[in-house]
Amino acid sequence: MTTTAPIHPNVHVGEPPALLLDGITKTYRSKAGAVDALRGVTYHFHRGSFTAVMGPSGSGKSTLLQCAAGLDKPTTGTVLLGGTGLHGLSEVALTKLRREQMGFVFQAYNLLPSLTVYDNVALPLRLTGKRPRRDEVHQVLDQVGLGGMARRRPAELSGGQQQRVAIARALITRPAVFFADEPTGALDSTASRQILSLLREATDRAGQTVVMVTHDPVAAAYAERVLFLSDGLVAGSLDRGTPQQIAAAMSDLER
Amino acid sequence: MFFLSRQTVRRHRSLYAGSFVALAVGVFLLGLAATATAATIAYDAPPGSSIPVSLPGYDGEPARTVDVPLSGEDASGLQVVLSMVGVISGFITIFVIASTFAFAVAARRREIGLLRLIGATPGQIRRMVLGEALVVAFAASATGTVLAQLATPLLLAKASYTELAPVKLEPASPWLPLAIAMGAGMVVAMLGARSAARRAGKVGAVDALREAALEPPRIGPVRIGFGVLFLAGGIVLLSLIRPSSGEAAAPLAMFTPMLLVIALTLLAPLVVPWIGRLWAIPLVAWTRVSGRLARSNVVAAPRRSASLAAPILGISAIAGSMVLSLSFVADAAAATIRDSVLAPIVVTAPAEESASPAAGSGRPDRELRERILQTPGVAAVDGSIPLRLIRTDSDSAELEDAEGIDLTVAPKARRMTAVEGDLSKLAGKTVAIGKEMAGFEQYEVGDEIPVTYTDRSTDRLKIVAILADAFGVNASLIIPEDLARAHAPNAQPAQWFVLPADGVSPDSVVAGLDQNLAGSGADAVPAAVWEAAQDEGVRQGNQLGLILLLGPAALYSAIAIVNTLLMGSLQRGHEFVTSRLLGATPAQIRRMVLWESTLVGVVALSLGTAITVTVGILIRHAMTDGLADVAVTVPWGPLLGIAGTCLVLAVGAALAPTAVILRHSHPSAAAAE
Repeated sequence: MTTTAPIHPNVHVGEPPALLLDGITKTYRSKAGAVDALRGVTYHFHRGSFTAVMGPSGSGKSTLLQCAAGLDKPTTGTVLLGGTGLHGLSEVALTKLRREQMGFVFQAYNLLPSLTVYDNVALPLRLTGKRPRRDEVHQVLDQVGLGGMARRRPAELSGGQQQRVAIARALITRPAVFFADEPTGALDSTASRQILSLLREATDRAGQTVVMVTHDPVAAAYAERVLFLSDGLVAGSLDRGTPQQIAAAMSDLER
Repeated sequence: MFFLSRQTVRRHRSLYAGSFVALAVGVFLLGLAATATAATIAYDAPPGSSIPVSLPGYDGEPARTVDVPLSGEDASGLQVVLSMVGVISGFITIFVIASTFAFAVAARRREIGLLRLIGATPGQIRRMVLGEALVVAFAASATGTVLAQLATPLLLAKASYTELAPVKLEPASPWLPLAIAMGAGMVVAMLGARSAARRAGKVGAVDALREAALEPPRIGPVRIGFGVLFLAGGIVLLSLIRPSSGEAAAPLAMFTPMLLVIALTLLAPLVVPWIGRLWAIPLVAWTRVSGRLARSNVVAAPRRSASLAAPILGISAIAGSMVLSLSFVADAAAATIRDSVLAPIVVTAPAEESASPAAGSGRPDRELRERILQTPGVAAVDGSIPLRLIRTDSDSAELEDAEGIDLTVAPKARRMTAVEGDLSKLAGKTVAIGKEMAGFEQYEVGDEIPVTYTDRSTDRLKIVAILADAFGVNASLIIPEDLARAHAPNAQPAQWFVLPADGVSPDSVVAGLDQNLAGSGADAVPAAVWEAAQDEGVRQGNQLGLILLLGPAALYSAIAIVNTLLMGSLQRGHEFVTSRLLGATPAQIRRMVLWESTLVGVVALSLGTAITVTVGILIRHAMTDGLADVAVTVPWGPLLGIAGTCLVLAVGAALAPTAVILRHSHPSAAAAE
């Protein structure tokens, strides 16, 4: 383990972070009793960063992602996205913030099977009430290497192609932050490489911020920083690690 | 969002096929009722068959003249039945559409969650579901109206010259009625889709990420509130079924179950698991694993079980209540007739003569009367003169049955107990009326009723007595014989009530009458036989009404039951394949589905039975007030038939798609997926 907990080094002075988590806890209550999924996470994701979140099963990494994206409400603590607090936002306001500022890529490709590739990608724009420009949609499709597939339906595509459609859909609104939950979990290594390169490009070229939950050290190595979670707490981080270093850190954590 | 609605409907064809068929059939029935009603309205009675009656008007309403058709030569009977068919069809349509749409939304939780995730607001989701409803509703309503237009001539040909419409009906201009049916279909669909849309709007973005699509077990306070409200309304209506409600009891028996059905459907997610657990006790005891699985599936998904149970509950409660109530009403009518006939012998008039009293010539009734009186042992005979007259209010005119009686005999042959006033004063321009009419019209002894006879002369008749009701034996207006004879010179009695002399046995009188009346066409029978024949007539009439009213509703519900269960099973392909991978044999899965659908069916039927029994008991109590020894005729055949059909449909509709899914899902294929 290289560093533990000191957060401040990753804050750029004078520039507000793209995403700020401050003292996030999340407790699930059920008949069986309370479960603490997150026990106080504070972290700043700065603009243009690509961060992988890793941890053993049950370490709270998916909960962290859902709280950060406003899909779930933290029990205590605040989330600031581009300076806007998510707490206290109405469902509609949260939805609007989500469609303007956030992009999502998940393990299940989450495309609407009834729509063509073109319509799937154009959907977020339509939802905001804008009329999507054809060249805009085609440009994004070209960017993910799916030019010429616009009229296909998701069922006619491979898993990797579907995932690239999902990325194109997330790219079209030019979101400030990308949330990715195991984006390569269901893909072979070639398709995985393409997806991760696309995410990498988003940070390098457009200055977008990517937060990716993964359990795959190879995928995590595309990020410039890996954040390790354990038992609902940040257990440490690793900058510019190789897959081998990341895997070693993970097995330390699981021990 | 409309472009999305169009696409999703196309994608979820199987989900919406049910809603489409249900709505198209509903609009078809509504459209048929509307065009046929238009035909009855357009029907012009031939000149001379109606009598103009002038109404005085009151409270600022101007005096006016209305034409009252005579001798039932119109289609008003058909109109009443059609409007009831319309009401029942409309009700069941809302009901079915609401549950199929709710189902369609529940089945697409993840997809809706995904839309929320990529930025659809709850309002946009609601509009999308409503847009889907609009697409389906438009297509289905259009199909239904076209079919209705095609079927109208057929229906009118069938309905012409029947008891309900003894005239020839021609199709009228279809545009207005069909526009109404189409509009009604759209409105009904949108109403049905509204609650589904609201529920869809509540799906959260995070639902897109949840693999398990287990629904939230609780239902909202609004739904509970409405459920309790409808339940209260139903209970209020139940409390109205009282001895004093008289003829209103029958419509109450139709509408009360509707309210209770709505209430129970709204509360079903709370109620169904409990009853399901109860019924599952023997099931779990008898079977090894399939019964236990079936119970968990029914109990753990209360909303799904509730929407599967809804159409079965609906039709069993409504049809059951009507069948049972009408039978009990007939029981009470039979008892009334039994108690009201005092004479031990009844002579029925020759059939062909009584069918057309005006055609008789030469006063054959005088001759018959003499023949009866000359029979040894006959002391007196009560043969009243039937006639129709128009009773006028300040604002309406009704054709009523009346009879002219011989005051010296009739009160001995039939029960004519005066509740108020004195029947012996019936002479000159006077009338005695039944208690129920007095109650509805608020007549009192001493009031004068304006009447118009069929010979177009008018009179004012003074009420001298209000009599205990004796439907089927006494007419609702009783006037002196002379007055009746004066305005209906050719009328002759439909039956004679015969009083034997003291000490003479009725049997010997019947034998004597048979001999004496031979060749006249008249028939002498003991009173009990005549009463039984009257009862039989009432029940046959009821049966016709039930077939007309419930036929379309039953057809419709059958479609709904098949529809929901079919959808329910088709949605579970994935679950079945997983179970197969875990080592369940196809037979085990089939048994599970069998028990599950049976359980849902039995739960729905037990709720339907509860409603039926409650309504039946109250109707019986209301109708048998003041009567002793009323027979209890429970129409087991139709009732068990309804229950059996519901169960067979439910189980069949659940098993058929399961078999198809299982055939296409060998475990090897599933593993490769």
